[in-house]
Amino acid sequence: MSDALPILEVRDLKMHFDIGGGLLDRLKISGSGVRIDKPVVHAVNGISFSIRRGEIMALVGESGCGKSTVAKTIARIHQPTQGEIRIDGEDIASYGFAKMLPVRARMQMIFQDPYASLNPRQRVRDIVAEPLLQQTRTAEERKAVPARIEALLAKVGLSVEHGGRYPHQFSGGQRQRIGIARALSVMPGLIIADEPVSALDVSIQAQILNLMMDLRDEFGLAYLFISHDLSVVHHIADTIGVMYLGFLVETAPRDVLFSHPRHPYTRALLSAAPSIKERRDVDEITLNGEVPSALTLPSGCCFRTRCPFAWERCAQERPRLADVGGGQKVACHLVEEPDRDRP
Amino acid sequence: MTVQTQHALLAVRDLRTYFHTFSGTVKAVNGVSFDIGEGEIMGLVGESGGGKSVVGFSILGLIDSPGQIMGGQILLNGEDLVTAGEDRLRQIRGREISMVFQDPMTSLNPLHTVGQQMDEVLRLHSDLDAAARRKACVEMLESVGISRAADRLGAYPHQFSGGMRQRVVIAIAMLAKPRLIIADEPTTALDVTIQSQILKLMRQQIAARGASMILITHDLAVVSEMADHITVLYCGNVVERGRTRDLIETPAHPYTRGLIDSIPDPANRHPRLKQIPGTVPDIRNLPKGCNFRDRCPRAQALCAVEEPQLRPQNASQWAACHYPLQPGDLA
Amino acid sequence: MTSFVQTEFFHNYRRSTSAVVGSALMLAFAFAVTAGPFLVDQNPYDIAALNLMDSYKPPVWLEGGDPRFLLGTDGQGRDVWASILYGARISVFIGLVAMIASCVIGTVLGLIAGFYGGIVDSVIMRIADIQLSFPSILIALFLMSAVGTGVDKVLIALTAVGWVVYARTVRGATLSEIKKEYVQAAKVAGLPNSKIIRKHVLPNVMTPLIVIATIQVGTFVLIEASLSFLGVGVPITQPSLGLLIKNGFDVLFSGLWWTSVFPGLAIMTLVFGINLFGDFLRDELNPRLK
Repeated sequence: MSDALPILEVRDLKMHFDIGGGLLDRLKISGSGVRIDKPVVHAVNGISFSIRRGEIMALVGESGCGKSTVAKTIARIHQPTQGEIRIDGEDIASYGFAKMLPVRARMQMIFQDPYASLNPRQRVRDIVAEPLLQQTRTAEERKAVPARIEALLAKVGLSVEHGGRYPHQFSGGQRQRIGIARALSVMPGLIIADEPVSALDVSIQAQILNLMMDLRDEFGLAYLFISHDLSVVHHIADTIGVMYLGFLVETAPRDVLFSHPRHPYTRALLSAAPSIKERRDVDEITLNGEVPSALTLPSGCCFRTRCPFAWERCAQERPRLADVGGGQKVACHLVEEPDRDRP
Repeated sequence: MTVQTQHALLAVRDLRTYFHTFSGTVKAVNGVSFDIGEGEIMGLVGESGGGKSVVGFSILGLIDSPGQIMGGQILLNGEDLVTAGEDRLRQIRGREISMVFQDPMTSLNPLHTVGQQMDEVLRLHSDLDAAARRKACVEMLESVGISRAADRLGAYPHQFSGGMRQRVVIAIAMLAKPRLIIADEPTTALDVTIQSQILKLMRQQIAARGASMILITHDLAVVSEMADHITVLYCGNVVERGRTRDLIETPAHPYTRGLIDSIPDPANRHPRLKQIPGTVPDIRNLPKGCNFRDRCPRAQALCAVEEPQLRPQNASQWAACHYPLQPGDLA
Repeated sequence: MTSFVQTEFFHNYRRSTSAVVGSALMLAFAFAVTAGPFLVDQNPYDIAALNLMDSYKPPVWLEGGDPRFLLGTDGQGRDVWASILYGARISVFIGLVAMIASCVIGTVLGLIAGFYGGIVDSVIMRIADIQLSFPSILIALFLMSAVGTGVDKVLIALTAVGWVVYARTVRGATLSEIKKEYVQAAKVAGLPNSKIIRKHVLPNVMTPLIVIATIQVGTFVLIEASLSFLGVGVPITQPSLGLLIKNGFDVLFSGLWWTSVFPGLAIMTLVFGINLFGDFLRDELNPRLK
């Protein structure tokens, strides 16, 4: 399978949001006269990665790093500002509604909030059937839908009677199962999972992660798994990408990333994560300050404002994601100047 | 209940807090007891619906209708807060006991500057004059790591980022030199790098002032790094409590064990996570006997009949289970 | 499924005096306007049934009262009680129809503005803003003087005034709904926008409209009464409660008070009942107060 096309390939994806509002809101009066402001949130700033069939790729990072925007742009909830999104080699970045429809049978999404992601006024069976019904063409296909929904509910651990109920009659974990059944209904090869367990209690989180793993094994699914939780990511992912301020700063196979993190931000994330184990050795890197605004990106490296190693070059030159071997790629000048790697 | 009450700063005894709703009485806290000694950090852990936040609000006397404290005692240095009047509680809140909530935006008043809000605490709870109060506020802000503190006193809460706001809340909570701080999910809304900053700060502040803390959280990893003792709640009951390391390493209650096993462990990766089956029962309609029995791998006939009482398991651990785990047991 | 009687809504309704009184008044009016013509012998608009000999009879309990005319008669010998029953029909009809029209138009415009945003949103909402910056009675007066009088003209005027509140409410609710993940999920499922609006957004923005619609019927009855009182409302052949007041107003200070006071009391009772019930609905349906 190594020479086969990746199921998802993203190249130089950018997503900028215009938050100006109406014309009246944009008018700014300053000393030099009246000008029209055009504030833009740089949510995603050119990221590239690919996922093979059956692979689980995780994107991690803190709030505001753009990981959810990446997910929602690939799912084409947003229209990307720039870049390619290739599903089985087919670039869907500029597809309109009609051309997207068949693609939606190959790519589905699981959402973060088990409460907001299900329409409170729809019955469970209608929720689950929704993507499938958009793909059916003939009356015969439509007739097969109810049986298919029953099978799906059983697959995710719900019963047939549950199909007639409304979302508010379920717990958070059960709702997330409904969302998974909905995504699964069209038998996609790729599921984009945006923080699927972060709103759940830890014991329920384990149930959902196990279910997702089982489904991967059974159907050969590939996941793009978005999460802020490193222990979850470590458990589920084959490959991990670390995002910061809309940039991919490091990507590596799971074990490499956890044993040999190269980017200072990755190292800081790993050392900040709390653990139930006895206190580990002293924190390797502690970050000060907070993430800068995505309205005005820092010059050069996005991370330099918080990086304990940053020097002049980091302010002038934006580091590119470079292959350092072993499947690991890092966007940091330290790769070229390793002797600066001391606080 | 016979627990060592020697140096308990706060002793909670058989606390029962119920909510009377249209669809039935919610026994959110149903017979909870624990002690906190001077300078101790106690973690109160459980999943949603466990009643952990209600315990915090009960201690502060902030239970509003339809909620009601139906029984038990909350002894602060021997003084029962359940029977204390609202005036006395108002004195205690802020001065003796203060609080840090999950969302700093809701505990700070958006219309007042940080300086005004800090000054108010000192005016209520100290006899300092204006200049001394200002000095105390600046020192406090500096000690929680806010630079240019004197200037920032004039800033409004929305001018701070999430992490900085939580630092301000901690500063306000520390101002009146309280003996006990109740922190309800103080870092849940924060990112992990900010969380580690805030946790470190709270640990320093508690240690420097010799205060005690109740840390309410759903995150076992956070409490295990912070707390001296842990109390685990399930459906409004204490199912286990003990010294942190003992409880994490040799949990006696199957629920505690399940919680620990549910956390993915990077050092010990299995293809499947151990999960607790089922969901938390409806607390308006709890089963007879042990609340956990429907999800428990060790449940037997007795569990359906008799509610287990909290019993000592060893020198430092108590568990409410008819068939507690022994250190060598596999779940 | 529990029956309605067991719901919390019904439980709270039973315990709320104002809700029970309000809905009782509304029910009484509903009965009066449907069964009205069968309750009285006289059709006040059948000229043949009128007798000038009966003009200005006081209510029965006063001296000179006639047992045939419970609340007295007007200058043409019309039974005031019968006039009220017939007039309330017209008032309530106008209030309901104008409310439904406003609700439909306002909801559709609000959905479009909120869902699509951009220039469509700006145009619709600026028109709404302009509309709101005039007193509603002035807009109605202006429209009536432009297009003339008549029940249909009153309906147009009221709808032109009334849609704005729905459009604004629905737009606001739509903006918060479309941020929710279930709308994004519908997009990922491949639903076209029209279907997303109909199946997902619309059912979830309807709740606050129930309160607005209830109270608006009362408001419309009042505006219609004012218009008719000013002489630009319904024609004399279809006298609403407002027109009855106007007709009686001319002789009010001659001691013949009953011809306008009783229709006035009828309007007051109706609007009072609607508002009482509307307040209860507002408390019940507003999740923020719970």
